[in-house]
This record gives sequence, C-alpha cells and structure tokens, in this order.
Amino acid sequence: MYPFWEGLFIHSTLYLAFTSAFHVLASHITVAAAWFNLYLERRAVRENREEFYVYLKRSALGLLVFAYVFGALAGVGIWQTTTAANPRGISTLIHNFVLYWGSEWYMFLIDVIGIIAYYYTFGRVSRQTHLRLAWILALGGTGTLSIIVGILSFKLTPSAWFETGLSLSGFFNTTFWPQLFMRFAFMFTITAAWALLIAGSFPRGFYQREHIIRRAALFGLIGLFAGIAIWLTWFEPSLPVNAKAILPSRAIPAPTFPMIYFGLIATFIGLVFAFVAPQMQRRIFAVGAMVVLFGAIFGAERTREVLRKPDIISGYMSSNQLLFRDIPVRGIASEEKRLSQTGMLGNLPFVPAPDKMANVASDLTFGSSDPEIAAGRVLAIQQCGSCHSVSKQTAMTVAGVRLDLRSQANLLKMRNLTTASKIDAYLKSIGGFPYMHPFVGTDAERRALARYFEAFLHSTYPETAPTSQAQQEVK
Amino acid sequence: MTVGEMLKMMRDPLGAPFFPPALQVLLVVTWVLHIFFVTTALGSSALSIFAFTFRRTSESWLQLGRIAARLSPNSVGLGIVTGIAPLLFVQTIYDPLWYAANTLSGFWSAMFIFIMMGGYSLAYVFYLKGSKDGRLVFTAALSFVLLFFAGWVMHVLHSVSIRPDQWLRWYMPDGVIDTRGVTFHAYNIPRLVFLLPLQAALSLSAVVMFAAWYMRKRSDDHAFLEWTAGLGRKLGLVVSPIYGVAGLAWALTEGPEFGVTALIAVPVLGLSAALTGYFLALKRPIDKAPLSLAVWLAALLGVAVIREAIRVASMARFGYSVADYPYRMDWGSILVFGGTTIVGVMVVLYLVLVLYQANASKEGTISPRVERLGKIATGMLGAWFGFFFLVGIYTVLFLR
Repeated sequence: MYPFWEGLFIHSTLYLAFTSAFHVLASHITVAAAWFNLYLERRAVRENREEFYVYLKRSALGLLVFAYVFGALAGVGIWQTTTAANPRGISTLIHNFVLYWGSEWYMFLIDVIGIIAYYYTFGRVSRQTHLRLAWILALGGTGTLSIIVGILSFKLTPSAWFETGLSLSGFFNTTFWPQLFMRFAFMFTITAAWALLIAGSFPRGFYQREHIIRRAALFGLIGLFAGIAIWLTWFEPSLPVNAKAILPSRAIPAPTFPMIYFGLIATFIGLVFAFVAPQMQRRIFAVGAMVVLFGAIFGAERTREVLRKPDIISGYMSSNQLLFRDIPVRGIASEEKRLSQTGMLGNLPFVPAPDKMANVASDLTFGSSDPEIAAGRVLAIQQCGSCHSVSKQTAMTVAGVRLDLRSQANLLKMRNLTTASKIDAYLKSIGGFPYMHPFVGTDAERRALARYFEAFLHSTYPETAPTSQAQQEVK
Repeated sequence: MTVGEMLKMMRDPLGAPFFPPALQVLLVVTWVLHIFFVTTALGSSALSIFAFTFRRTSESWLQLGRIAARLSPNSVGLGIVTGIAPLLFVQTIYDPLWYAANTLSGFWSAMFIFIMMGGYSLAYVFYLKGSKDGRLVFTAALSFVLLFFAGWVMHVLHSVSIRPDQWLRWYMPDGVIDTRGVTFHAYNIPRLVFLLPLQAALSLSAVVMFAAWYMRKRSDDHAFLEWTAGLGRKLGLVVSPIYGVAGLAWALTEGPEFGVTALIAVPVLGLSAALTGYFLALKRPIDKAPLSLAVWLAALLGVAVIREAIRVASMARFGYSVADYPYRMDWGSILVFGGTTIVGVMVVLYLVLVLYQANASKEGTISPRVERLGKIATGMLGAWFGFFFLVGIYTVLFLR
C-alpha cells in the first residue's frame, strides 16, 4: 500500500529495535525513579533529612538531561522508525487510539514540564510544594505507562475488539493488565541501576550514600521478583495459543533467551552485591548494569514483537501490512482474499504492474534483465521484506559478520532449496509454519518470487549455483 | 489508478475516531506551540554561539549568551514534546501523505531522532560545561548544525508529503524500485528560510524580551535587562521585513505549483508588515514583552493556517479533503481523552505557575492560590487513576 523502506546497511526493523530498547530503558527509569525519589523525598520532609536532597538533586538533573528528554526523543524515534518500517501497522494503532495517545501526551507533558519544575525549584519553594511536585512526577509517569501499555498490548491481543469494534475493548485487552503490572515491577529493577549510578558517584561515606544504595537495591530486588512472578503466573498463561507456539520456535533468534537470562541473573547478583556491600559500589558497576539491562530489554522487547508473528496486529494485519480478516462491525474486508484472486502486481499503489517496471540488468536484480526476476523483486520486497533481508542492501558486514535479518538467502541455503522449482514448492507450503502467512498472489507471481530468491541465493552464496555445484561434483 | 484513487485507497480503513475537521484544527493549533519551541531552540543556540564567538569582551553579551545556552536544550525538549501532538493528528487525517513521505525518505526519517539526540546532547554539554566561561563553543556550533539539519529533514518530509503526484516517480526512478530512502526528493529553500532561520530570529526576539521582563523582579541589573529587551526589539525590527521578502520568495516559488501564490504572498506580506509596524511602535519593549510574545504567537498561528491552506490546496487537486475523511465517533476514546484533558490542563497549569513564581522573584514565593490549585490538581491526577481503572473494569466486564 505504501512505498517500502527496506533499511540501509541494516534492516529497517533493527533501527526500530534499537530505538525501542533505548526508549524502554529511559522511559522505565523515569517512572520508577520518580517513585523512588518520592519515597526519599517523603522521608526527607517527615524525618527532616536534609542529606537526601543531595541525592535527589543529582538524580533529578540526570533524569532531566538523560531519561526524560532522551526518553522523549527515543519515543519520537519509535514513531519515526515504525512509520518508515511498517506504516500500516502504526496507522492501525493511530486510527484506533489517537485520542488515547493524546491522553498520554498530557501525561507526557506533565512529565517533562514536571521534571523541569522539579529540578529548577530545588531550594526555591517550600518542601511541601516540592514534595507535591514529586507526587505529580510519579503519578504522571505512571499515567504514561498505563496508557501506552494498552496500545502496545493491543498488537498482541486485540481480544474483543474484533467483535465490538470499540477502542475500549482493544485497549483493555487480555494481556493489558498483566503487562501493566509486570512492567511496573521491572521498572524498579531498572531504576535500582539508575539509583546505584547516581549514589555510586558520591564519595564513600558521603551523607547517606550507603543507605540509599541499599534501599535502591532492595527496591530493585523486589521489582525483579515481582516481575518474574507476574510473568510466570499471569502474563505467560494469558498469551494466545499462537504466541505460546512461537515462544520456543526458531522465529526467536538463538541468542535472545540466553541474553535475557544472563541479564536477569547478572542483575540479581549485582543488586544482591549492592545490598550486601553498598560501600563497595562504584559507578562503573552501575554503568555495567545499565549495559546488561539494555541487552536484556532488547531481547525481551524483540521477543514481545516476535510473539505476534506472522502479524503486525495479531489476527488482523500480517507483517507485510495486508489485512486478512473481515471485521463487519467496522466495515472492514480482508485484502488478502481479494489480492489472492486478482494478484498483487498492479493492484496496490506501490506494487507496480510488470509493464511499469524497467527490465534492466542491475545489482538489484543480480545482473539479470529477466522481467520475471524484476517482478519477483517487487514481490519479495512487499511480501517478505518486513521480516527478512531480501537483498544485500540490508546486510552490512562488520568484522566478518553479516548483520542481516533472517536473510532469505541464508534460510534457503540452510534448507538446501537452491533451485527455483524447489523454492516455489516451499513457498506453496509456508502457510503451514506457525510464524508464516501463506503467499498472497497468483501462481505466476509465486514463481516469479521463487526466481528472484534463486538469483538472490546464488548471488549471495555462489557455491549454491548449479554450475558451481556441478563443478564440485566433478571434483 | 489515478492519484486521487490511490490516496483514497491508502487511507486507513478504520477511519478517524472523531470529527476530522476538529482534528485538523488541533493539528494547526498544536503545531504553533511546536514550531515556537523549535525555533526558540535554534534561535537561542545561534545567540549563544554568536555571544561566545564574536562578543567575548562584552559582559552583557556573555550574560545573555549564558541564558541562551540554558534555554536552548530546554527548548529542544519542549519542542519534541509539543511536536508529538501535531504528529498524532497529521497521521490521523493525512495518513497517506505522512506515511508515503516517511517511507520514501525512510533512512532520514529513521535518522532524524539520532540527529536530534546529537544536537540535544551537545547543547547540554555546552550549557553545563562550556557556558560559564565560553569554552567548548564548537559543541554549541555542532549542536546548531545538527538541530538545523533535523529541521531540514522535517522540511523535506513535509515537502514530499504534499506532492503525491510525484511519489511513484520518486519510488521508481527509471522503472526500478528504490527502497533505500536516502534521497531528499523535494524541498523549497525560501520556505525553509522563512520557517526556520527567520522564525528562529523572531522567536528569539520575543523570548529575549520576555526573559528581560520576567527577570525584572529578581535582578538588580536593570541596565542589562533594558539592553536585553532593546536587543530583542532591534532583532525583531531588522528581521521582520526580511521575513516578508522570504515569504514572497516562498509564494513565488512554491505557490504556482499548487495555484496558491496569492494565498501565500498576501498573508505573509501582511504578517511581515504588521510585525515591522509593531516593533517600530514598540517604545518600552521590557514593559510590553508579554504582549510581544502574544503577538508573535498569533503570527505563528497565521503561518500555521497558511501552511495548512497550502496542503489543502495541494490535496484538493486530487479530490482529497479532510472534510470527506471517513470517521466514526468512538465514545470510549472521547471519554478517556476528555477526562485526561481536564486533569492534564490543571496539572500543567499548576506546574507552569510554580515554575513561573519560583523564579520570578528573589524569594521564589508560591502564592496561596497556586498552592490551592496544586492540591486540587494533584488530587485530580490521583483520581484519574480511579477513573481509568473503573473504565477498564467496566470494559472488561460489560463490553464483550
């Protein structure tokens, strides 16, 4: 439906993944740090503990400079990268939830103006007034979280929305509640790393350094256990059947789970260490914890995204941005049905008919001027490009490692599907995988796609080309 | 398939959840705040660089440069936050335009935020580490370049979005699909000059006067404040006529393409003349600073309307109109948004008043009325969660 941006050097989805992981890290810090700061500030006021303000001011500056604005920037970054990578997916969310996002915007405005007010009024307003600002920051941040989780979880479980067509049904869906509470819990773990970073920068024995480190570690440990408990007893059981089937499948790249487990264990050890020996805490440990958490969050967020596969909006829109479900209450008809009959080429605005394509030999068609391969390229981009590298454009090589995303060339080579006929037979059957949709289009279009993939494979791995194979057999 | 048919097909089948022309009004109004902060960020960044590079011997300039260095990153933050609202509304009623532009320029769309992060970080580095004694001016300069480049990217995205008749040609140059998204397909330099550097200067003019007015009660250096306000007025006076010239160039270069030459030329020349007249007549800039700020915001509203009129004219060529955009009143959305708006406005108002009063005088006294507002606003924010969860529970139990 829209022009397709494959990405450059790396796949478009990876731009999104990195931006998202960073946003989650920064935004989760803001919410739970606001609660932790509130806790300390309440004690500062009630117990007349002046020394807590030293920590609070330094934390607030860090939050103002790093977490709030970088969180906001990365949030907008998600908009931009999602829009470029999968515009119809974000369009569905916007057209369902624009006013919820508008509501989140108010909370966000409260957060950003709030942290500016909070930081720039230290010592300039009464303690009670400043404490009120702390309350506003904690509540505003939690409001932001509450709203965005409804929109995010809709992608995995639109639930009753299919029947009612009402935004409320989609928003308060079946995974909304467990995800909300799980994220809230894990936020304290992330925030503990933040508090360790701030408090760890104080000289040893400085004011309440050790006390704050121990409290932060305790908050973090409680958040960690609560988050894991919610995942095991509430969130995971509420996942749809398809998502549960995907969880152990190869759709989730191999290093993902080890990365998450390592992150959890390392965080646990780090927090216990901070709790037991706060005097040993150094800023470098906290920075390390942040890096580990970034890795774990990256893995967890990628998993959350993959759980919906092969859809961008589960049960409604496939990753290639075609609608495949009728929703009578909203007057929506499946596009896949129609396009399976009419064919893809020439029937969507940016999927041109063969007569509109130039059949010139170029790197994009691996040196071929065959019109069938040119048509196959268009289909590969539209049907597969959202989740796979379908050209060399998104496969930058760093230190000998090719940074592609589930490259079709790799997959075909792994399955020993080296000829167009084998690939075509495979494409006929891909709908059988839990994480794949059937090919949409005519038989001729599917054959064209197979021809393109054959050329892609042979160009990427010349040893798979028939002449090369024949030569090897002769040897 | 005609361009008009293509645009209709590209619209999201779900339609808008609210009356689309109302969303169009919100789009225009929220853009005013956004562009104000964006141009303030650029203007204050330029001012701090100028002060610390060319006026190092003048204490007044350095003092103003420090204020500008502090203003710049905070304005970037507010520019980003206020940019989210128009971003929401443009996607709702102009989805074909926005999404096509972002995919055609995908690489720059994705890079935008990294460019912004670089610009913002460097602005903060200069504010925290350099603005005291004027070291690290290169960080401020680099920050300005990055922030301006981010503005250029947004300008290109908008320019691409209002030219749907060119999209296919850009996507398939010579019949071969280009999925790299690296080309700057469309731009209009006079428009860019009008919207960014010149408006940055005018935003700076208004903000500088306002800052002088605001600091009156807590600063004893009245000479500096008078000088600052006078500088703001002078800047406004010099830039306003140039603003008109750039606007005319914009009208003459972009106008004919959409048949809106007069529609751009007349109001921008009018705005330029009105602003020039205002600055000429402004005798005590420090006393009239709030009025000057209001005048400038009103001028920005005028520009926002002109911008929207160009988009409407461009789309009308293909039969695309916001008035025809399908919609279905979604009462759940309206309920949540309405409730949050009441709470949000109260809390934001309270925060702004606290910021204002805390720094307006030497003592930083918060008035009892504002304190009372704070109690109510905080209570309302707490109550919002009750409202939110009740709506959730009602949905789970009854909307099935």
